Amino acid sequence: MSSSFSRRALLKGAALGGLATTGALSGCSSGPPPGTATWSMWSSSPEENRVWADFGRYVERRMHIRSASTLTPSDGYPTKLDLQLVSGTAGMVTALNGWLIPTYASRGAHRPLDDLIAADPDFDLDDFYPAIRSISSFAGHTYAIGFDVAPTVLYYNRTLLERNGVDPPSPTEPMSWDTFRELAIELSKPEDQYGFTCAPTIDDLVSWIYCAGGDVLDGDRDTSPLDAPEALQAIHYVVDLYVKDRVTPPIDNLVAQNASGASLANFLQGNVAFMQNGPWQVLNVRKAPFTWDIVPFPAGPAGSTPRVSGSSFAIPSGVKDDDLDLAWRLLKTLTSTGALNIYARAGRNNPARLSAASAFEPPPANLGIVQRILKGDVAGGHPFNVTTNWNRVRLLLGQDLPRAFLGQVSVRDAIDGVMPRLNALMRQHRDAVRQAT
Amino acid sequence: MAVETPAAATAAPRRTPRGPLRGPRFWRRGSETLAAWLFLLPSLAGFLVFTAGPVVAAGVISLLDWNLFSPPHFIGLDNFARLGPDPTFWSALGNTAYFTFVSVPLTLLVSLGLAVLLNQGLRRMAVFRSLLLLPYATITVAVAFVWVWLYIPHDGLINAVLGGFGIDGPAWLISDDWAMPALILMSVWKSFGFGMVIFLAGLQAIPQQLYEAARVDGASPWRTFRAVTLPLLSPSVFFTVVTSIIGSFQVFDQALVMTDGGPGSSTTTLVMYIYRTGFQNYEQGYAAAQSMVLFAFIVVITAAQFLLQRRLVHYDI
Repeated sequence: MSSSFSRRALLKGAALGGLATTGALSGCSSGPPPGTATWSMWSSSPEENRVWADFGRYVERRMHIRSASTLTPSDGYPTKLDLQLVSGTAGMVTALNGWLIPTYASRGAHRPLDDLIAADPDFDLDDFYPAIRSISSFAGHTYAIGFDVAPTVLYYNRTLLERNGVDPPSPTEPMSWDTFRELAIELSKPEDQYGFTCAPTIDDLVSWIYCAGGDVLDGDRDTSPLDAPEALQAIHYVVDLYVKDRVTPPIDNLVAQNASGASLANFLQGNVAFMQNGPWQVLNVRKAPFTWDIVPFPAGPAGSTPRVSGSSFAIPSGVKDDDLDLAWRLLKTLTSTGALNIYARAGRNNPARLSAASAFEPPPANLGIVQRILKGDVAGGHPFNVTTNWNRVRLLLGQDLPRAFLGQVSVRDAIDGVMPRLNALMRQHRDAVRQAT
Repeated sequence: MAVETPAAATAAPRRTPRGPLRGPRFWRRGSETLAAWLFLLPSLAGFLVFTAGPVVAAGVISLLDWNLFSPPHFIGLDNFARLGPDPTFWSALGNTAYFTFVSVPLTLLVSLGLAVLLNQGLRRMAVFRSLLLLPYATITVAVAFVWVWLYIPHDGLINAVLGGFGIDGPAWLISDDWAMPALILMSVWKSFGFGMVIFLAGLQAIPQQLYEAARVDGASPWRTFRAVTLPLLSPSVFFTVVTSIIGSFQVFDQALVMTDGGPGSSTTTLVMYIYRTGFQNYEQGYAAAQSMVLFAFIVVITAAQFLLQRRLVHYDI
């Protein structure tokens, strides 16, 4: 009896102890202490983690306060950020990919920065490339400050070109679409050699559409100009590279998130002559076992005006009072020339500030064209214009357009199929813009 | 076939009626009850916070127009009214039903076949059982990535094997017609281990004397399987069917990783559509309404199965 009693007492004690511990743990605060500079960023590799750790140290050195960053893999970053914003646990500064800025701004998740910029004579917005200023704005207001910006460029495998007796393309003069197509066909061989690779998604297709003088959205209309002759010409051109000319590696998978990675993987295998991508992949391509470089994007009927994209830091709407002052100082520090020098020297991407441009250095030898394109000295670029519901536009086009790339439907049929739903999304976008202005 | 077992014959000792508890016995019973509640509390708290709470919250959110960031507005049943004319919702529901009503029977057949095979007293059965259980024990996302490679049309392993037999394999994940069968095939491979273990336990609990009696009566192996094995295995089959259908209606991971719902919307499942509606389109109320409909579907189908089990499931030996 006594042993039974003591066992029961022991179990009861354990249960009570467990409850007490749970209560004690739940009572503990897990957040950083007040006055800490908190910020959120995506990061998918140890190399990226190191860059952001350097940013954190830079913040602590410059601001003399503790820096606490929340790093999340890029795929899950928007979802995590949503939940943090809703639950009030987001950092006082959050990184945003440029294409998400209208989405967050139109929903009131982030605050406009115009008042903070106007009240701060030390902050020089003119030091940022015009393209990133455009990308970071919504409805005439600045919602974010950029940390990187770059046009899409054309990577080429110099080793493969030399092996096939083809001269490297001009480092500054964009090829015409016709020349590019001829080269891509010439450099494609039945034994697993391909002329070109890109992702069969709207994010890559849009560069060709801009170069043809088209667009996905029209600022003044409630309908999408994706079925306009210019856009159709561009889509036809790229789909023909896949279906008719067969100069691209076969499509294995339609998951949009993997498409860009698949394109890079194809190029790194060494049997693809040209790849469409941004300078943010320079760091990865440096591992390639062949010589390579970058050149301006091929020029279509409207010239070489590919997508220019970038990323920025913004302040959530929930940040107020003293925290707002700290958030603004943190945002300025994270986008300062010193911080962007760290970012660019690590080779992550072209910095958003003109004063940090020199830190983004070769290889490859022709890396300087990135800044020359942004300044308008060479070729050109087109800011990546997106809607307030770009996620849905992307999903719609990502599900229906690949059928054309696979040759399962014609371009005309694919576009006609998506237009009613695309126009519905455009009307929804226009409503969101009207409500915001 | 109801046989009285020794366990049934030796029932629990009869309790004598007791009056109200008084004195030390009352306190002992009281403290036992308190201890029981304390032990139940972590599980109960988990259920209330992580299961019941979200279900109630989803019910409330389904009546709101809420984009996560702006204050929500009460809109009554408008979100439910939107479901009727939404073709994507019905397409996703159809895809989910297709997945469920093909994958569940297939999984059951494979599980049962392997369980019967393993129950034949094979040598090293534990090793086989562990190996066959491995797919179930692995993470779906990791397995899905491997299957993406297997399904590559031009040089994937599956089409290479088919090519060895002179068969020109389909385009699998990039084909409208084959993407869903590809997901089903992978899901059957991934989940048959669970049913197999349940069936194996059920088979091993069937008394051998019943098989001996059937043999004495001259029953064929097929007749023995139908008249002895299947009826006595029916509780295991019922449990596996219920859990498999509930799980299949919530299919998400493999479709997200392997096809992202495409080509077109041929593999967009209901849970994937709910996720997109809530977290990509920022329509929390509409997503919650879809969740409530899915919940209702699962409750109705499960209830129907519980009604059917009265006629089809045999708990007596």
